[in-house]
Amino acid sequence: MRPAAVPGALLVAAAVLVACGTTTTSYPPPPAAVPGGPQPLGVGGGPSTVSTPPPAPDCDPTASLRPDGPLPPPGNPPAGSTMARIAERGRLIAGVDQTTYPFGFRDPFSGELTGFDIDMLHAVSAALFGDPNRIQFKTITSAERISALTQGQVDIVARTMTIDCSRAQQVGFSTVYYVAGQRVLVNRGSSVTGIGDLTGRKVCATKGSTSLDAIAAAASHPVPVSVDNWTDCLVMMQQGQVDAVSTDDTILVGLVAQDPYTVIVGPRFTDEPYGIAVPKQDEDFVRFVNAVLERMRADGDWRASYQRWLGTRLGPVPDPPPARYRD
Amino acid sequence: MALAVITRVGAVPRLPHGLLRALVRFLRTTPGRLMALLLGLLLLCLLMATVTVAGVQRKAGEIRDLVTGSEPLTVTAQDIYRALSDADATASSAFLAGGVEPASTRAQYTADITQAASALALTAGTRTPGDPLLTLSAQLPVYTGLVETARANNRQGFPVGAAYLREASGLMRTTLLPAAERFYQAENDRLANEQNAAASFPVAEVLLAAVILGCLVAAQRYLLRLTNRMFNVGLVTATAAVTISLLWLLTAMILVSVHLASARQDSSNQIAVLVQARLAAVQARADETLTLVARGTGQSYEQDFVAASAKLGGSDGAGGLLGKARALATSPAVRADLDDAVYYQQSWTKTHAAIRKADDAGQYDQAVATTVGAADTSSGTIFARLDQSLVAAINTARQAFSAGTDAAAAALTLLTPGLIVFAVLAGAGSVFGIWQRLREYW
Repeated sequence: MRPAAVPGALLVAAAVLVACGTTTTSYPPPPAAVPGGPQPLGVGGGPSTVSTPPPAPDCDPTASLRPDGPLPPPGNPPAGSTMARIAERGRLIAGVDQTTYPFGFRDPFSGELTGFDIDMLHAVSAALFGDPNRIQFKTITSAERISALTQGQVDIVARTMTIDCSRAQQVGFSTVYYVAGQRVLVNRGSSVTGIGDLTGRKVCATKGSTSLDAIAAAASHPVPVSVDNWTDCLVMMQQGQVDAVSTDDTILVGLVAQDPYTVIVGPRFTDEPYGIAVPKQDEDFVRFVNAVLERMRADGDWRASYQRWLGTRLGPVPDPPPARYRD
Repeated sequence: MALAVITRVGAVPRLPHGLLRALVRFLRTTPGRLMALLLGLLLLCLLMATVTVAGVQRKAGEIRDLVTGSEPLTVTAQDIYRALSDADATASSAFLAGGVEPASTRAQYTADITQAASALALTAGTRTPGDPLLTLSAQLPVYTGLVETARANNRQGFPVGAAYLREASGLMRTTLLPAAERFYQAENDRLANEQNAAASFPVAEVLLAAVILGCLVAAQRYLLRLTNRMFNVGLVTATAAVTISLLWLLTAMILVSVHLASARQDSSNQIAVLVQARLAAVQARADETLTLVARGTGQSYEQDFVAASAKLGGSDGAGGLLGKARALATSPAVRADLDDAVYYQQSWTKTHAAIRKADDAGQYDQAVATTVGAADTSSGTIFARLDQSLVAAINTARQAFSAGTDAAAAALTLLTPGLIVFAVLAGAGSVFGIWQRLREYW
């Protein structure tokens, strides 16, 4: 080694030593945020079949079966009827919603299921048993309404269910007990004034609902987002994951009641006649339920229930929708 | 022969390669060889001292890490999983109870979240593949935020509160709990690996000691040929010192392995099964509650409950993980705790059957009361007692772990100073023994 190189080598050695001796205290950079916020379980896209099959020409889905005269006295159903089978079991098994204020929801204070739909079921129970509370509730999602009936898991479904021809082919519907119409819910201050302004925006509805079909079929081409329950739509709107919720005004009224920063906009762009559904083969039970509805229209129970759950939120208390029968 | 080429030691050549040549020449002489032997043995003794002492220190460190690091970390990891799962079940049962949640339920939820969060803080900095801790730390505040949103809405009577609770439960079950499970598994594997490492045999140290022993014997044979004297006091002393070191090292290491193996048998293996049992129990509890929350559409939760319950106690409550833990148990205390656990699992199965029967018969309110009520016969109370017996069993088994590792650590007592003393003795003996011979050439 040349003498001149010695100091250089020493310097390098010293530098290496110093580097080895110093504890490196450099921390790794903070990791990037875990992507995506939480979403309700089971979020999906549009309906699997975008356009519902066109109704058969002779289909008049809102015309139901005429009651067999006045209601029989409670606890004394005709032998061999569906009502006798239910009476023998001792309780009515009903498919309902526990999330849709004010139609079928779980009252957080009492833990009881209540709402306009539930009132209809209490009336059916009272007519069957003389006791409005002989009901076993099973909560089902919108998409499960038809399968719950066809598979015999429930006797009856009252769950903001729109009567239409494709459904009427699979289940039996009562007369119309409520007529709703689809509108749009947005955040207060939004520039959206109706379904026509939602081009390319995310709009929420529940799976298997007619509302989801209507969103997918809208001329303005919104992006449908589907969830299990209507309250999940409100959750997604509050979390900024959808721009709007579009469904029946009755359900939207219930969402506005839970979040005053939302507002219903635009005109009704569909008619949604609600019916109580039972298995297709139980025609005697359809007639029985229609008799119960006749009584409620006549004795003011329908108006009392409307007053209790909807009040004047959608204008003055209307008359109950008239019954239409096909025979 | 060798005397003919003897050179004066002090005749230092001027040039480096002359120095080398002189050194080679010197090493061919007998004093040269003796000098080389002396230096070589001294160096080997120093090396032995360094290597064995470092090895023993490392081993002591590994044992200490087991007690202060890996084992508590594994327990912490299972605490995180249990606390999170219990928080999920508790939040759901508060929803079931209806009305304003009972103060006790709220307190339990808060305790669960506090425990999970503090356990996360304790594990900060642990590197685990896939970074489950990152997921847990990032998502826990999101989860609690959702639960609080649910509460705020619930207290205003808004059903959207239930939707937030469902979202929170979904986040827990799809993201947080799987991450907590990955973390626990990783920590458990790490503990097993570290136990293997700590119990491993110190091959290098023992080989080195054996090599030195061989060198010492060879040196004595060389001296015997050179001087015809049977014993060299210095080298005999050195040989004795190295032999004792080697035997001591071997004994200590075998003791360490034995004690660590018993710690594993009496503790780690049992704890692994007990933890699995505890996690299965809390899983079953969450499923039981969520079945009722789903109200009629909870078949998948009920199936999950049946699966978790069978995993926990088998068909009769005494099989499954509880039976496996009972068979592994080595202490009467653990066995007694497990007998309690089996008893509670059996009463839970009966109570659950009653709950399902009531719910299926339409008596929902009664089913809820039996599930979340404070009565001794409610499944909530039974689950809490089952969990307590499992915790007691885990704590007892953990004591066996400390006992085993303490004994392993005790086997290393005085080994470090002992090895140093004997290495010094061996070095001094070698130097003295050869110096005596070397002196004869001056």
